[in-house]
Amino acid sequence: MVDKHDEVKKIEVDYTRLRIPFGPVHPALKEPVLLRVTVRREEVLDVDVVLGHVHRGIEVLAENRNLVQTLYLVERVCGICSHSHTTCYVQALEEIGGIQPPERALYLRTLIFELERIHSHLFLLGVMAHEIGFDTLFMFTWYVREKILDLFEKVTGNRVHHAMNTLGGVRWDLNQHMVDDIRATMKDLQKSVHRIYNFFQDKTVEKRLCDVGVLSKDDAERLCVVGPTARGSGVDMDVRRDHPYAAYTYLKDYFSVAVREKGDVYARTEVRLLELFESISLIQKVLEELPNGPIRVEDNVIRLMRRIPEGEVISLVEAPRGELLYFVKTDGKEGLRRLKIRTPTIPNVLTLKPMLVGCEIADIPVVVASIDPCMACANRLIVVDATTDSKKIVDMDFLRRRRQA
Amino acid sequence: MKLGKMLHDALRVLFKKPVTVQYLTKPGEMVPIPERFRGKIIYDKNACIGCLLCIRTCPSGVITATAERKVKFDVARCMFCGQCVEICPKKAITLSSEFEIVVYEKEKLIIW
Amino acid sequence: MNTLIALLLAFPLVFVISLLFDGIDRKLHARMQRRIGPPIIQPLYDFIKLFSKERIVPTTASSRIFTVSPIFAAVASIMGTSILLANLMLRENTGGDLIVVLYLLAMSSVLVMVGGSSSGNPYGAIGFSRKMSMLIAYEVPLLLSILSVSLKINSLSYYDIISVQIAAKSMLALTFPSMAVAATAFLICIPATADAVPFDVSEAKTEIVHGPLVEYGGPFLALFKLAKSASNLALTLLATTLFFYLPAVFRVYALPGLSDLLICLVFALIFWFLTITVPRTIFARLKVGQAFKFYWLVALPLSVTAVLLSVLGL
Repeated sequence: MVDKHDEVKKIEVDYTRLRIPFGPVHPALKEPVLLRVTVRREEVLDVDVVLGHVHRGIEVLAENRNLVQTLYLVERVCGICSHSHTTCYVQALEEIGGIQPPERALYLRTLIFELERIHSHLFLLGVMAHEIGFDTLFMFTWYVREKILDLFEKVTGNRVHHAMNTLGGVRWDLNQHMVDDIRATMKDLQKSVHRIYNFFQDKTVEKRLCDVGVLSKDDAERLCVVGPTARGSGVDMDVRRDHPYAAYTYLKDYFSVAVREKGDVYARTEVRLLELFESISLIQKVLEELPNGPIRVEDNVIRLMRRIPEGEVISLVEAPRGELLYFVKTDGKEGLRRLKIRTPTIPNVLTLKPMLVGCEIADIPVVVASIDPCMACANRLIVVDATTDSKKIVDMDFLRRRRQA
Repeated sequence: MKLGKMLHDALRVLFKKPVTVQYLTKPGEMVPIPERFRGKIIYDKNACIGCLLCIRTCPSGVITATAERKVKFDVARCMFCGQCVEICPKKAITLSSEFEIVVYEKEKLIIW
Repeated sequence: MNTLIALLLAFPLVFVISLLFDGIDRKLHARMQRRIGPPIIQPLYDFIKLFSKERIVPTTASSRIFTVSPIFAAVASIMGTSILLANLMLRENTGGDLIVVLYLLAMSSVLVMVGGSSSGNPYGAIGFSRKMSMLIAYEVPLLLSILSVSLKINSLSYYDIISVQIAAKSMLALTFPSMAVAATAFLICIPATADAVPFDVSEAKTEIVHGPLVEYGGPFLALFKLAKSASNLALTLLATTLFFYLPAVFRVYALPGLSDLLICLVFALIFWFLTITVPRTIFARLKVGQAFKFYWLVALPLSVTAVLLSVLGL
C-alpha cells in the first residue's frame, strides 16, 4: 500500500523570484501595456505581454459609416502615424475605383509623409533619452520637433491629424511662402540632427544603450518583425523601395535604406537617426521636383464615392514604425463591408520576450522604447476559443467570410 | 572627449531667454496662429440652400437638419476636420481661428 | 549654554537655507534646459502643501517602521548640519566632531532605505537593494577621504581643521597634494549621496517609480525631502570648509563672524551647482553594476592614495 503523500510530488517554491507588473500605468510607458515581468534580484527571467487597454473597436465602427466618414475615423487610430493610415486607406479605395490622383497630389502626399516620419523619429529619440534619465536631451529633441509641428500647422491647419488626404488627391496646396519656410526649416534641422547624433554618442548614453536588448537576425525573420526594428538587426526591408507607392516610384534612386547588423538598442536608434537624414534630403528633392497641376481629381467627394464598386484590396505603406497593411472590402453602396488594419507594432511587440530575457530591470524601459511601441495602433482582436484554448490565425478566407449578408 | 558632450550646450543657454511662451499667465503672449488653422465653425444661414450634403459627409454626427430646411451644428461633437467646408456648394460654412471654446453650458455650443 | 543656543538657532536656519538652495538648484537645472523653472521658494511651498495631505499607511507595510523612519531621517540630517553651522557660528569645537556628523548623515541615508523596504511594495524592495549597493560603493571613499584629513591634522574635531587653515592663511587642498587628492575623491562621492543623475539608481523615476519613496506621500514625503536637502547642504558645506576654507585667504574685516559664514554658504552653493546640478543635467543614468564599478575603480583608489600620502607626510 502506497501512502498518498509519497505519490504527491513536492513543489519547490523559489522565493527569490519576484513578479512585478510593469504597467499599464508607469512613468516609463507613454501608452498602456501590461508586462508581467518575473525577476530574480536584477535579472529578468520571463516576460508576459498583455495588450488591450486601448481597444476602441475601430474596425467595427468602420462598417457603419460611408467611405468618406471612415477616412477620418481611420486617421484617428494613431496620432503620430495618422497620415500613414489615411494614405494607405485612400490608396486602397483609389485602386478599387480606378481613380488616378494627379502627380502633384502624389508629391504632396510624399512630402507630408516624410515630414511625419521626421516628427515620429524625433518623438521617439526624446522618449528614449527620457527613459535613460537624460532629461536635457529629451527637452532638446522635443524643441526641434516643435518646429516640424509649426510647419504642419502652416500647411494643413493642425499639428497632428492633418487630414491632408482625400479621395482622389490632397486637400491643400503649397504656396511660395510655405515652400520657403520648409526649405529654411530643413536647413536648421540638418544642423540640429547632427547635434542630436553627437549627443547620443556620449559615454554614459553608450553605456546604457549598447549591447542591451539584442535581437538576432534569425529571431527577427522568424517573428516577422518590420520597420526600423528589423533594419537594426540586419533585415533589409523597406516598402518604399520594394513596393513603391505615391511619389516613391519616381524618387527611388534618391534615398538609401539604413541597415545595421548588431541588433541592440543602439543599432535601432542609429537606424532611426540615419533615416532622419534621408528624410531631410528626400523632402528637399520633392520640393525641387514638385510638378505643377491640379491637386485633386474632383472637388465633390460624394461623386467620387459613388464611383467606387464592390471589391477588395490589400494596401501597403511604410509608416514610421514599419510596414502598415490594410485590407479593405467595399460593398459598392458607398460603405465598407470589412476593414482590417495590421499595424507594425503588432509583430514588433512579440520581440519583447527574446529581447528582455537576460537583461536587468534597468533595461526594461529602454528596450520597450526601442521598438517604438504605438499601443494605440496595436490593439486588435484575436479569436480565442475558451473551451479548447486554441487560437486561430486570421487568414484571407476568414476575412472574406465576415458579413456576407 | 566623449564624456559630457552636453556641457557646452547646457552652459551656453543658462543665461538666455527660455523658449516657453507664457500663454495665459502673461497677458498678451501667444504663438502666432496660421491662416489655415481649423477652429470653430461659422455658419452663414442666408447662403445655405438646404441640400444637406454636409450631413452625409460629417464623420462625427455634428450636423442635424432643422424644420425649416436649414442645418444646426453641435460644436461639442466636432473634430474640426473641415469636410463640411469642402462639400458645401454655396460656401456657407467656414472655420474660424477661434480655439478657446470652453463653456459651462453645452447649449451655448449649438450654432444654427 | 552657548552650544545649546547656537544649535537651537541653527535648526531653523538649516531648514530655510537647505530648501532655498534646493530651489536654486531646480531653477538652474530648468534654465539649462531652456525652461522657466519653478520659483526659488518652491520647495518651501511643497513642504507646506505636503503637510496638508492625508497620512496614508499601506496595509502591507510594517506601520511602525514606516511612520517613524521619515521623522528620524529628517531629525538626523538637520542635527548633523546644525552641528556644522553651530561650529562655524561660535568659531570653536562644539556639539560634536566629524564622526558624529558623518554618523548622522549616514543614518539618514540608511533610514530612507529601511523605510522603503518596510512599505511592502516590490518596487521598494528593489530600491532597497540598489541603495544598499550604492551605500557600499560610496561610503568607503567618503570616510577614507575624511580620515586622510584627520590624519594630517591629527584631530577629528571640525573646527580644528578650520583653525589650521586660518593659521596658515591658505586652503588645505591647495597646499598639500594629499589633500587635493582627498578633495577630488570627496567631490566625486557627493552626487551618489545626493541621489543625482548619473548615480540615482535607487530612485530612478522611469524604472522603479522612485524606489524606496514609492509608497510615501503627505507629511512623510515632506520629511524625507527635507532630510535629503539638509544632507546635501551638510556635504557641500563639508567640502568647502574642510578643503577650501575661503575666509582663511580672503577675509572681509567688517563683522568677521557673520561674513565668514556667508562666504562659506555661498561657496557651498557653488559646489552644489558643480557637483549636483551640472551632472544632473548633462549625463544619463548609469545602471547599478556600472555605478558600483565606477566608485570602486575610480573613487576608492583616489581615497586610499590620499590616506597613504597623508601618512607619508605629503
